[in-house]
Amino acid sequence: MENKVLVAEHLYNPMISKIVNIEELTELEKRFEIELPEKRVLGHNPGQFVEVSIFGWGEAPISISSSPTRNPVFDLTVRRVGRLTDKMHRLHAGDQLGIRGPYGKGFELDTFKGRDVLFVCAGIGLAPLKSMIDYTIAKRKDFGRLIILYGTRHPALILFRHDIEMWTKADDIEFHITVDRPDDRWKGHVGVITTLIPPLKLDVERTVAAVVGPPVMYKFVLMALKSKRIPDENIHLSLERRMKCGVGKCGHCQINGVYVCQDGPVFRYTQIKNLQEAI
Amino acid sequence: MTGEDYYKVEQMNKYYFDHATTENFLDFLMSRAKVIAPHRKGENSFIYDEVRNVSDIVFDYPRTIQPLKKYFLPPREELLEFDRKNNTFTETTIADEPRIYFAIHAYEMQAIKRLDFSFVRGHPEWNYLERRKNALFLGISFTPDEWHFSKGVGIEIEKMDGFCLYFEPMENGFLVFEVDQAGRDLLADFNSGVLVSAPLNLEIREKTFSTKIKYHFNRLPQIFELLYNSPVWESVAERCVGCGTCNLLCPTCYCFDVNDEVDLNLQKGRRERIWDSCMINPFAEVAGGENFREKISARTRHRLYRKFKYNTMLSGELHCVGCGRCSRYCPAGINLVDIINALIDDVGIRQQTQTV
Repeated sequence: MENKVLVAEHLYNPMISKIVNIEELTELEKRFEIELPEKRVLGHNPGQFVEVSIFGWGEAPISISSSPTRNPVFDLTVRRVGRLTDKMHRLHAGDQLGIRGPYGKGFELDTFKGRDVLFVCAGIGLAPLKSMIDYTIAKRKDFGRLIILYGTRHPALILFRHDIEMWTKADDIEFHITVDRPDDRWKGHVGVITTLIPPLKLDVERTVAAVVGPPVMYKFVLMALKSKRIPDENIHLSLERRMKCGVGKCGHCQINGVYVCQDGPVFRYTQIKNLQEAI
Repeated sequence: MTGEDYYKVEQMNKYYFDHATTENFLDFLMSRAKVIAPHRKGENSFIYDEVRNVSDIVFDYPRTIQPLKKYFLPPREELLEFDRKNNTFTETTIADEPRIYFAIHAYEMQAIKRLDFSFVRGHPEWNYLERRKNALFLGISFTPDEWHFSKGVGIEIEKMDGFCLYFEPMENGFLVFEVDQAGRDLLADFNSGVLVSAPLNLEIREKTFSTKIKYHFNRLPQIFELLYNSPVWESVAERCVGCGTCNLLCPTCYCFDVNDEVDLNLQKGRRERIWDSCMINPFAEVAGGENFREKISARTRHRLYRKFKYNTMLSGELHCVGCGRCSRYCPAGINLVDIINALIDDVGIRQQTQTV
């Protein structure tokens, strides 16, 4: 080969890690607290992901849902939706699983610093966004207003109830929640996530938006933010793709020429708005 | 051949090997390393295989069914062997042995160079590099058939870049070009054959490609700027069945999936990577069922853009090498050059309507 000095990387070896605690959030979602071998610090940025594996059950990308300010234990919030995640849901505290990563680009923290942050998420989108929410709360004085908009289909599907209680009570966090289909006891807002956006009073010059949700949500949230005159370059969003290898090789997460696992999963909207298969 | 390439070739040492010398040379190679070369498989099909008898080697062949990538990115490759009971694993070992690849065509060599780029970029992958590091390639000339179009993507039959030696058939033997230092070392150790002194006055058969792309290859990445919404993608999709044969036989395709295989006793198993195909429906599907490239037209477009634009923007090279495998073996009879030429026609129509 060429006479270049190449450091060949062993890319696919997992770190055998321990589940130290599991919290059942809903019927479908659990939060796993993970500890790496020798209590190593994962060293992630909010918005990054890891490859999680269980021998015999395979490997899948899972976003990190805790802030790097809390370590060495970190959180993975997992919806039971496939072979591996189904097996994960049957594990117990003390069991082990494999971790590779962290991978990808998270939120550009420098861009968010000193700004009002508008978080918009729906469904399981709160899981990856929570790493950033927790980070801004841990470093509260580095940020302006913190506005969190969270939409879910049904009250029974609400994630992170303890955190939400805290966000609701906190004077320096503006938290708004909505459900699509209320039950008898629901007294809050009803409607899709975009209905929370028009009433907001925002300082457009100061606001940066962080958006994570199911694929169908983006188009509508982007339209709502546009009508609030938030510039496209101040909208950051995280895309879900099949990031099988996490290291820019396997091809599954490619959107046109972009590898989501390397160039994302968090993008500025300006980076992807002309990528036709992105949103 | 460009002037510069021609000059380089002129400067190379050249040896004449008659058939007996060639046979001795191959025995010599086999005494040094495993030798991989084209073999006959059925009446009109060829494969790369390890040489056991020199007489099995086929020197004149149009192309093999599977590309040479199978030796560097095996169709099914063990990454880890694991023990589920103890949650332990060992990484796969890759034999550290020299291998010699003999009678390789220029487009195949260039495909390996494209793979080198893809596996080194970003994170240089140990598995690939470990298989790649002890490889020597000996090239051979070929006569293009109706499917070859490598010249149309910038790869001449006599492109020697990547080879250590290059064999040009001639009367009763071969003219052997000493391409680089590794080739020089091999020939010095072999210490036979007749040095041919310059100037060259050999009649190398004039070879032409019957299949041609209408535009010069330098223009292809540019036209892809204009073709994302071309009607050509839909018209290809009318015939394509999405089987993925084109991906599996493409010498520069390298997408893969990773699966765990568990032994019958359920205790031990292997994490394996297997070739995957962006033409197959669930390729871009995520857990929960959302599929980001559901239509065959979008998948066809993605496959071609990977060859002519996305990877080209990164490496500066086209990632189609013109071997013709995808067309030759497509069960629906879809021909890549026909697609490219239809796209070129489409660009022409668009430009005309713009200027009118």
